[in-house]
Amino acid sequence: MQKKTYLITNMECPNCAMILESIEDKLPGIREISASYKKGQVTVEFDEKMVSEAEILAAIQKKGYTVEA
Amino acid sequence: MLEQYLLAFVTGLTTGGLSCLAVQGGLLASSLANQIERDLLNAPPAPVKKGKRPVRPARPNPAGGRGTSTALPILLFLAAKLVAYTLLGLLLGWLGSFLTFDPIMRAVLMVLIAIFMVGNGLRMLNVHPFFRNFVIEPPKFITRAIRKTAKGTDTATPLFLGALTVFIPCGVTQAMMAAALGLGDPLSAALLMFAFTLGTSPVFFVVAYFTTQIGASLEKHFMRFVAIVILFLGLVTFDNALNLLGAPSVSGLFTVQQAPAAASAEASDNLTLRAENRGYNPARLAAQAGVPVTLNIVTDNTTSCSRDFVIPAIKYYVLLPVTGTETVQIPPQPAGTTMRFTCSMGMYTGVIEFK
Repeated sequence: MQKKTYLITNMECPNCAMILESIEDKLPGIREISASYKKGQVTVEFDEKMVSEAEILAAIQKKGYTVEA
Repeated sequence: MLEQYLLAFVTGLTTGGLSCLAVQGGLLASSLANQIERDLLNAPPAPVKKGKRPVRPARPNPAGGRGTSTALPILLFLAAKLVAYTLLGLLLGWLGSFLTFDPIMRAVLMVLIAIFMVGNGLRMLNVHPFFRNFVIEPPKFITRAIRKTAKGTDTATPLFLGALTVFIPCGVTQAMMAAALGLGDPLSAALLMFAFTLGTSPVFFVVAYFTTQIGASLEKHFMRFVAIVILFLGLVTFDNALNLLGAPSVSGLFTVQQAPAAASAEASDNLTLRAENRGYNPARLAAQAGVPVTLNIVTDNTTSCSRDFVIPAIKYYVLLPVTGTETVQIPPQPAGTTMRFTCSMGMYTGVIEFK
């Protein structure tokens, strides 16, 4: 199990947090996800045997958000 | 009495609609989550050029590009919102019947509302990440429940989410809630909130329905416009709070400058002030210094908030009759004193100059 926090550079409203959290619906390997508009970040706890970090980053990007390198 | 509901409706139609949309638009978008999800999946990711600031995310399109199919969920969302806020009005009016708001409490409430509005306006303009602290984020369990519910396509989804907006009132709504509380009567307060929420509905509907036509770049400009309006309203609210505290204010200064100079008028110990629907006349009175002064406030079919008359310096507050005369005894004041008076919302103002 891994826990990673990503800084998101383009969250513009509280609803963005809800949209970001919805990636857990598509990726079953995500155990816990918590996005915060106030902090501009998303914390993901995932099972690396079921889902890779690259897949998570791709899902975030697919929602239209940019992860700070 | 009817005029206060009409005013609430117009407030909703103009400023309230924009302000509420900025705060609650997310829930409306969520109530149409299926369409949004489809749009996001179909839309290509926002391009990011190397070394450049990333562009805003592909904004969910609440209308989903299928106008007629989305009109019903929007209407259900708005209907639920209307019912929820009317019930909230009922509750506030009932609570208000146990409370009395003196002008100082109102002023403090208005200052807090003003700070909230200015903070939100600056947040929407992306001035600094600090201003994100002004947003009211619903608890995680609520957002999770919303997300799970929003997957449904049944009519319960927009109804449930519309009702949830009651937990995230915008600045103007909060001001209206304070007014509803101040009415101290459940039915009047419910009617006030109903009129206001009904007024906010057209903006919600139009924006949600025509987002496709607005387009991402225009939407960005629109949101900036909303932010500036909220910022302006926040400053106006703060200025009104200053009036209510009897402190110098921009609007007070403007009112006094517009009024005919009191210097030319004979200073008297018996003054007459007309509280009219559009303000106080004259807005500048000359009183005799060093002697008790009688102020007669005359109303003639006055139904606006100018009826709620306040002189902050002597802590005088009265609800004037619709038609009639109310007399106030002002204790002796030294020459050169400027005593401000205002309505309880801080909208209409005037001064008494002691000579």
